[in-house]
Amino acid sequence: MKTLVKLEITRTLRNRKFMFFSVMYPAMLFLGVSLGYKKGATAGDTGLSALAYLMTAMAAFGAMTAVLMGNAERIAREREKGWVRQLRLTALPGRGYVAAKIASAATVSLPSILIVLVLGATVKNVRLDAWQWVGIGVATWAGSLVFAALGVAIGYLATADAARPISMIFYFGLAILGGLWVPLYNFPHWLQTLAGYLPAGPYANLGRSIELGHAPHAKDVTVLLVYLLLFAGAAAWLYRKDTRKA
Amino acid sequence: MTAPAAQTGTGKRPVSPADGAAPAEPVVSFTDVAKSFGPVRAVSDLSLSLHPGETVALLGPNGAGKSTALDLLLGLKNPDHGTVRLFGQTPTQAIAAGRVGAMLQSGGLMEEVTVRELVGLACDLHPRRYPVADVMAAAGITDIRDRKVNKLSGGQEQRVRFALATAGANDLIVLDEPTTGMDVSARQAFWATMRAQVDEGKAVLFATHYLEEADAIADRVLVLHQGRLIADGTAAEIKARAGARRITFDLDGTVDSDLLGTLPHLVGLDVTGPTVRIRSDDADATMHAVYGLGLYPRNLEVSGLGLEQAFLAITDAATAEEAGNR
Repeated sequence: MKTLVKLEITRTLRNRKFMFFSVMYPAMLFLGVSLGYKKGATAGDTGLSALAYLMTAMAAFGAMTAVLMGNAERIAREREKGWVRQLRLTALPGRGYVAAKIASAATVSLPSILIVLVLGATVKNVRLDAWQWVGIGVATWAGSLVFAALGVAIGYLATADAARPISMIFYFGLAILGGLWVPLYNFPHWLQTLAGYLPAGPYANLGRSIELGHAPHAKDVTVLLVYLLLFAGAAAWLYRKDTRKA
Repeated sequence: MTAPAAQTGTGKRPVSPADGAAPAEPVVSFTDVAKSFGPVRAVSDLSLSLHPGETVALLGPNGAGKSTALDLLLGLKNPDHGTVRLFGQTPTQAIAAGRVGAMLQSGGLMEEVTVRELVGLACDLHPRRYPVADVMAAAGITDIRDRKVNKLSGGQEQRVRFALATAGANDLIVLDEPTTGMDVSARQAFWATMRAQVDEGKAVLFATHYLEEADAIADRVLVLHQGRLIADGTAAEIKARAGARRITFDLDGTVDSDLLGTLPHLVGLDVTGPTVRIRSDDADATMHAVYGLGLYPRNLEVSGLGLEQAFLAITDAATAEEAGNR
């Protein structure tokens, strides 16, 4: 199984085009969107500067892009080509396949997160303690696994043609409802409450809590863990149950 | 192309349990298996068992249910009815135990990796793995080991698939149309490699549409037609059943088909203009009767029936029977 994880990561790194766009996209978006905010602007009543708020949101959004967009489609295509059928004729358990796919997705999301953080620190002058930078990086990376698992599950559920639109719907839907685009503090109250139970809101909260100098909230971590188990479980189950004509 | 290297000695291999003194447990057993896709019955009432050391060809026209039968055998599909067992276990258990290797017609390969990396993965995942170098040598792909998998020719791809199917000490190897896309010499090299596996006492089941392959390699032939098993025997038995001889001659004047239909040992009759084509299971007796009718056949030819014609004869007869039942 280690060989599979290693091979999946190697393949991803070899796919330069995919790597390049997945890594550059959130960085460009962060630079673009942050132009609309003045330097001293604060993010509602969160106690954060708008730029710091935006930085964690874009790091989270970028990681989501990296793990959700390409991955679901690649898996769906791999399934249609029959590679997954061949893989099912090996002793590999479903969780091994899912773990390898999540690991390869995480390979892409790490640099995309780091670039946004580096831009925040250098170009946008966001000032945080060393532990906060490390904490935000680690938490955002770990949290991206939830969406990586969702990507694998979608890749399993959909055909290659449908995987892209379906992951788009999840991606934009979750990103918007999680306040990654429009700050959550502009939402009506009921929507803010709902956002707390969807994965993207708690995900962005991880970084925000650290920016405010706290550990992430237990509730956010719990919500994310539940989604991770749900998505990864669904993906592993779909891998084994995929009895459709490939 | 490199000649396939001889497989490593049997001493390295774990002895398969089927080699023991106990009565051999069937390698594969299907009991009343049925599978439909919507209104289409892909496989119905399929019961069969394969035994250790057998090389079995699975034949059938397109849409006969071969691929479905293999999918059921490998646990890629679940039967609607009946049971499938491999070595007394479910297909999934047998695969997890490393007893089955399979090469699928539709089995895609992982892209963006080299041949060596991919075969290494298959070896790594196999509970009773062989060394990667041995597997590549046996499949004749050592010389292309550093090539990217998505840059291979059709025949090379098939060899890589074969390497994936033989990455460890399987007791059963399943091959779906293994030589598709290979030229004649590649096909011969492939079957030479396959024989090495058979000589080790492994059971091999292969689906093919090259009937000469079935004739030359299999010691048992299964014929599927419209999801049913319509013949099960050696190639020779199947040929005999279809009518062993084909007789062709021309007649002058009007040909009386009804009269010819009364000939003894007749299995098939086809009259086109002056040309009469007969399949007979006793050509001597049939021809004796032709002369007995006072006919004078010209351009007489009597030839043995190949497995191909036998196969067509059997499936045609099954189709006719099917139509008669409606």
